[in-house]
Amino acid sequence: MDIELDYDTLLTLSTEIGYRLLSSGAEIYRVEDSIQRLFTAYGADGAVFVIPSCIIASLATPEGHSATRIRRVSGHSTDIQRLEAYNNLCRVLCDQRPPLSKAKAQLALVEARHKSYRYGVRLLGYFVGTGGFSLFFGGIWRDGLCGGLCGVSIGLCLTLMTWLKANAFFQTIAGGFVSALLAVLLTALGLGQNLDLIIIGALMALVPGTVFTNAMRDIMAGDLIAGISKTAEALLLGTAIALGTGFALALTRGLI
Amino acid sequence: MELIRHFLPCLYAFFACIGFSVLFNIQGTGILICSAGGALGWLVYLITEPLCGGSELIQALAAAVALAAYGEIMARVRRCLVTPYILVAALPLVPGAGIYYSMEHAINGETQAFLNRFLHTLGLAGAMAVGILLVGSVTRLAAGRHRKPSQERM
Repeated sequence: MDIELDYDTLLTLSTEIGYRLLSSGAEIYRVEDSIQRLFTAYGADGAVFVIPSCIIASLATPEGHSATRIRRVSGHSTDIQRLEAYNNLCRVLCDQRPPLSKAKAQLALVEARHKSYRYGVRLLGYFVGTGGFSLFFGGIWRDGLCGGLCGVSIGLCLTLMTWLKANAFFQTIAGGFVSALLAVLLTALGLGQNLDLIIIGALMALVPGTVFTNAMRDIMAGDLIAGISKTAEALLLGTAIALGTGFALALTRGLI
Repeated sequence: MELIRHFLPCLYAFFACIGFSVLFNIQGTGILICSAGGALGWLVYLITEPLCGGSELIQALAAAVALAAYGEIMARVRRCLVTPYILVAALPLVPGAGIYYSMEHAINGETQAFLNRFLHTLGLAGAMAVGILLVGSVTRLAAGRHRKPSQERM
């Protein structure tokens, strides 16, 4: 253990790890636990409080100075590879307690090693996922194909909306609207047979299942503020899906 | 015939979960293991049908318990996080159909049918949540006894 522990660096490092964990879709208790463990491992006296949109971590040096860092977390995604990488990094740091400069280098290494699927593969993921759910809910193979195409349209739409920096609520409305419109079109052309099954399959790409599951895990861990705000988010997104698809269906009902 | 009736939806669930695993950026063999959890959950949902007297809520609860237990076991076996297993495996249980049909009733102006369907959807989501909560709490109790007492949480 260093005699001169640089508390500022420790604070910055731990909140950075916490930030990356949270933005990759970690539960609240995992983020709090990771930061707290890092503090404990390096022998610092600190406390941490995390809600989905913010990380607050504070340390007290032996001289009695307090240092605090607040990180706002705006975008949440689900990136399991990144989540596992940072979780492992945190475990390694707590076990081996390397000097902080080395720890920083390891953090940069983890970020450099991060790999994700190429955009084409992700679109294929949308196709297989949503098409699979159209079949799963009882569609015939042509419904599966249409569901997959609608899923791809959702993927493209979400990319566009992210680029336009739209919020999650509006992104979901737009995704639901575009996919329902395409589903109506494909059914009218005779390719799809069951309009409802096609739309339901495609909507699985928008349904806030991950938000909801994480909310439940937060509530289970006792993080009620996080759990309630995520449940509210899930309900809002569910409403957005209904609004988007409902609007498209009502619109086309008038036209056709 | 019974076998095919059960097998095909589980197969579809498996492939759908593979697609979503890619979206969640799960790498390597984890994809297959997570997706198998989805198929397992749905299999339990289907085979508990005669036992539950037609209550979809109990079926969803049983399926959620099964997939959460599978997730916790696989996380211990493979020494990695439990999160991805439960996120992916719970997808077939997410009541996407319920949201859609509620919305359809709503835009047709059928208030009674809308409320019925909407409450049923909420019930299914709740059953899924309770199942996952149940298994998570039990494993926490079991694991908590071995863990070193870390600093107290805020």
